[in-house]
Amino acid sequence: MNSVLVVEDERHLAEGLRFNLEAEGYQVHLAETGEAALELLSGESPAFDVVLLDVMLPGKDGFSVMSELRQSGNFIPTLMLTARGRPEDVLRGFAAGADDYLTKPFELAILIARIQGLLRRREWLRTSLNHEAPNHGAAPQANQVTPPPEPKGTFTFGEKGEKSVHFDLLELRVRGQKFPLTLMEANVLRYLIQHEGAPVSRKAMLEEVWGLHEDTDTRAIDNFIVRLRRYIEDDPTRPRHLVTVRGVGYRFVASPANRPERTVRGGQV
Amino acid sequence: MVVAGRRKSIAFFIALGIGLISVIILLYVGWVLFDWRSGILLFLGVLLLAVIISGVVLNTIFLVREIRRNEQHNAFINAVTHELKTPVASIRLYLETLQTRAVDETKRKEFYDIMLDESDRLLGTIEQVLRTGRVGGASRKLSLAPINLGSVVEECLARARTLYHVPPESIAYLPGPEVTVMGDPDEVRAAVSNLIDNAVKYSESDVKVTVETAKVDGKYVSVRVRDQGVGIPQGELKQIFKRFYRVPGQLATRVKGIGLGLYIVRSVAKRHGGRAWAESEGLGRGSTFVLQLPIIK
Repeated sequence: MNSVLVVEDERHLAEGLRFNLEAEGYQVHLAETGEAALELLSGESPAFDVVLLDVMLPGKDGFSVMSELRQSGNFIPTLMLTARGRPEDVLRGFAAGADDYLTKPFELAILIARIQGLLRRREWLRTSLNHEAPNHGAAPQANQVTPPPEPKGTFTFGEKGEKSVHFDLLELRVRGQKFPLTLMEANVLRYLIQHEGAPVSRKAMLEEVWGLHEDTDTRAIDNFIVRLRRYIEDDPTRPRHLVTVRGVGYRFVASPANRPERTVRGGQV
Repeated sequence: MVVAGRRKSIAFFIALGIGLISVIILLYVGWVLFDWRSGILLFLGVLLLAVIISGVVLNTIFLVREIRRNEQHNAFINAVTHELKTPVASIRLYLETLQTRAVDETKRKEFYDIMLDESDRLLGTIEQVLRTGRVGGASRKLSLAPINLGSVVEECLARARTLYHVPPESIAYLPGPEVTVMGDPDEVRAAVSNLIDNAVKYSESDVKVTVETAKVDGKYVSVRVRDQGVGIPQGELKQIFKRFYRVPGQLATRVKGIGLGLYIVRSVAKRHGGRAWAESEGLGRGSTFVLQLPIIK
């Protein structure tokens, strides 16, 4: 039986969620504060399979709980649930390390489907680890037009192939050093790798990776890129793999040495 | 977070500041270059400089105040969003549950009660926001009528006991002599209710609230609402009556609110020729709120 940790200080909402999730066959635990949730999640044994995390909590808010959890190396699938539905709030949630985000009021069926989605992804991850069959890990991509570099389980890049992304493990390896990725970081990277060499607009990333269709401050994506650069680039201030395309967005370059330097500005390459 | 109107007002003060400083520089340069001999001009120059410097100082004060207001405004928008959407989310969740699942009779009844509670909470927030608009505008006239204050207080106490599910002994009432005040019944009820709500909310788990009415100097009647709750730091006793203001820190997230209740209390008191204030010996030592209204002889 899968178990869900519901972190929600609104008692009525928490009880309603408990009733419904139990009816769906989940084991449900409630936590009212961020501190209580962190304590429950810090235990060695993985007692929970998925976390539902509210943002406006007494004490530590959901965003800080999320980032503390990720910083401590806990990558449990987490869905953030909050009344704050503006794109910048949603992106802040993802930036903190959330795997999914749902705004209140929500539809019950959608909430349950999203929880199932998170659990399914985790199962895929487990089976692919056990059977060494990496091609299950791919996220549902709306746009699969560029087949050649389709990243499946592992994608190797860098001049000497010294860097690799393991999408199934949500892990990035650079010269033997491992960096854990959140699901969203992995999805951003996957999307960029799929369009390797071509500029990808911020708006397209927002739509395809996050599924957001509102006009918003698309600069929020930049935070993700900054983090990814810290892992990938030898010198994050002078990126060579995740290159900025001015006025458009970004472009992924697998092997920078084979390309002429500074073809950055034009747009189309 | 962007609140466009507020940002513009800050931009105005910054532009004014820059403008005033450039006038100082221009005048100074003019003084050095041209008319350093003329006494009248010296006098005028000193006068102008004094005016400009006080302008800059005033401008800075307004700028800081505007920035603070901006922050409070954002916090208010967040709190209202939360207070409006959460009950809707709850009601919707329970309705969907009832619609899609087999729920036994006891649970069904429990769900109805929860939905009623949540719709009361939603209505409370809406009323509070609308009332702020009404009591804030000086133009709106009061519909005055003689009110028996004792019965208004009892009405509010009964409401609070049901709303917060607290036993009657947790909110005690010590009635003073019967008094009649001339006022708008709806507004006076709102003010008293807000004080009692706060006392209960900020008592957290251990609710021990006393409401007292007493005559003061034969001219006024005071409603004192005392709690044993979280208390208020000395420096915040006046601030808390400001619109949108909430004492910063953990408490504001633990106890839900939108920062309008005490503003309403003070506005109602002023509109009725009375006043409202808070007393507290500090954090963790409870607080007392007093609403004073003139009585009819």
